[in-house]
Amino acid sequence: MSKLLAAALGILTAIGGFVDIGDLVTNAVVGSRFGMSLAWVVVLGIVGICLFASMSGRVAAVSGRATFEVIRERLGPRAAGANLVASFAINLLTLTAEVGGIALALHLASSVEPRLWIPVAALAVWLVLWRVKFQIMENVAGLLGLLLVGFAVALFLLGPDWGELLRQAVPPSPPGTESPASYWYYAVALFGAAMTPYEVFFFSSGAVEERWTAKDLATNRVNVLLGFPLGGMLSLSIAACAAVVLLPAGIEVTALSQLMLPVAQAGGVLLVAVVLVGIVAATFGAALETALSSGYTLAQYLGWSWGKFRRPARAARFHLTMIVALLLAVGILMTSVDPVAVTEMSVVFSAVALPLTYIPILVVANDPAYMGEHVNGRVVNALGMVFLVIVVVAAVAAIPLMIATGAGS
Amino acid sequence: MRCERWDAAGRRRPRACIRAGGEHQGVGTFGGGRRGAAVALAVVLACTGCVASRQEPGQATAAVADAVAEAASAGETARITVGLLDEGRLTGPVADTALLDQLRALDEAETALTTLVPPDAASTAHRTAGLAAVGDVSDAVVAARSWVAARSGGRLAGAADVPASADAVLADLADATDAADAALAEADGP
Repeated sequence: MSKLLAAALGILTAIGGFVDIGDLVTNAVVGSRFGMSLAWVVVLGIVGICLFASMSGRVAAVSGRATFEVIRERLGPRAAGANLVASFAINLLTLTAEVGGIALALHLASSVEPRLWIPVAALAVWLVLWRVKFQIMENVAGLLGLLLVGFAVALFLLGPDWGELLRQAVPPSPPGTESPASYWYYAVALFGAAMTPYEVFFFSSGAVEERWTAKDLATNRVNVLLGFPLGGMLSLSIAACAAVVLLPAGIEVTALSQLMLPVAQAGGVLLVAVVLVGIVAATFGAALETALSSGYTLAQYLGWSWGKFRRPARAARFHLTMIVALLLAVGILMTSVDPVAVTEMSVVFSAVALPLTYIPILVVANDPAYMGEHVNGRVVNALGMVFLVIVVVAAVAAIPLMIATGAGS
Repeated sequence: MRCERWDAAGRRRPRACIRAGGEHQGVGTFGGGRRGAAVALAVVLACTGCVASRQEPGQATAAVADAVAEAASAGETARITVGLLDEGRLTGPVADTALLDQLRALDEAETALTTLVPPDAASTAHRTAGLAAVGDVSDAVVAARSWVAARSGGRLAGAADVPASADAVLADLADATDAADAALAEADGP
């Protein structure tokens, strides 16, 4: 019974923890401009993150090593160092976007300027990282993030023409109102939002934090294969809400506040309040995960003592790294940079950096020396190779598309 | 650059023709080496502030249309926001933040238009019409925000200027958004 409860909790936190500021912003922008014509990318991203997370979780559970320890072992210090620099920079950008997302959500709830919320949000993130146990932190953020199901409720209450939404989604093609380059730019951005590298750093390091072994592989598989696709449904419902209310009105999403309009139209103040709490929880949870990922990547590469299962005094450099990363994020946001613009950048650069973590994980998951009997099977390998091509193509295309489309504007 | 408009049926149409006609022009008559030198010189001059940026007519028209489309989007967002607040489906802080966000978007649209250097009389006329439309939407959104503040119990110095009812606010926003649509249609051409 307790195993069943633990599995249910794992699935629920995986659903609630799936959506972050990148998913919120990118899906809303895409829904308001392209309708559901990019829904296939979300589906592709969900399959990709399931594959990627289940492999990294399996590697961590079987070998006892988290992603960056594996990367350093396989690539050597020099290549892994270059990988670290790129991964750390993307992770910092994502952390900045998440802290900005918390501030924007609190701005929405209170009308108080986001720049006043930024230090408060960062302080709260640090306090939780410093004081709260890993499992409590993960479960509370994930469960509160489930309130984003309000977007799915809103979609049903809006009573859309489901046939029209399906017609927008199938067959997948750029709508006549947008250029093909913009369509593909946002396809890469959505893919990057669904397969953000920090999720894998966090997932594999979390497996070590929670002392997973080969016995936990079934739980890992269930959490990933049920939790992430259901989380992906939340992403699709955000895009659909925008497609139903904002697209016909000719509204292009440029601010988080515009996401509230379909929700308010469907469910009034109560649903708006539910979704607002969900957004704060989702961005807060993602800020915790990205801050932890900063510490994980650097500490694992340099061989420092790391992990929330250790007291801060016993993993001082790991905690110091997170503090510095949070301070840098606050510093960037206090320059008055638009958090939504930072988010849009972070998802695109996530796509650029994806092969840096994906390829080593795929290689190690196939290595019997590490994995023993738990190496990838044929089906997983075939899927892994298909995604290897997709991940590399997205990474190579991201920056040229960004330049060609003026960042999709 | 995103270019679009609404046709008679209210559906958005692409304005790829404007982009296609407007971009990648202006340096085509130069030879390879000279072109490189000219581009480098233009970059240096632009960076040092010796010249104002100059655009081709198609580019200028597309830039005007983009800015006006942003304004129309902001006006429509404000209209929905005020309607929802009036129906009690939205909280005051969310409505206030949504309107503030749209004022920022309108500020960007106005900056895009005021910093534009129109290369011909037609672009100048489009820009003038665009600036007027963006200004009208901005005024309507400012008035809407005052109404939201007054509705939430805020004490405003210029209380006499605050619209009396949501209907008045919505009517102003509808007029301003229609004017922006008209300016957009004009900038897009026939």
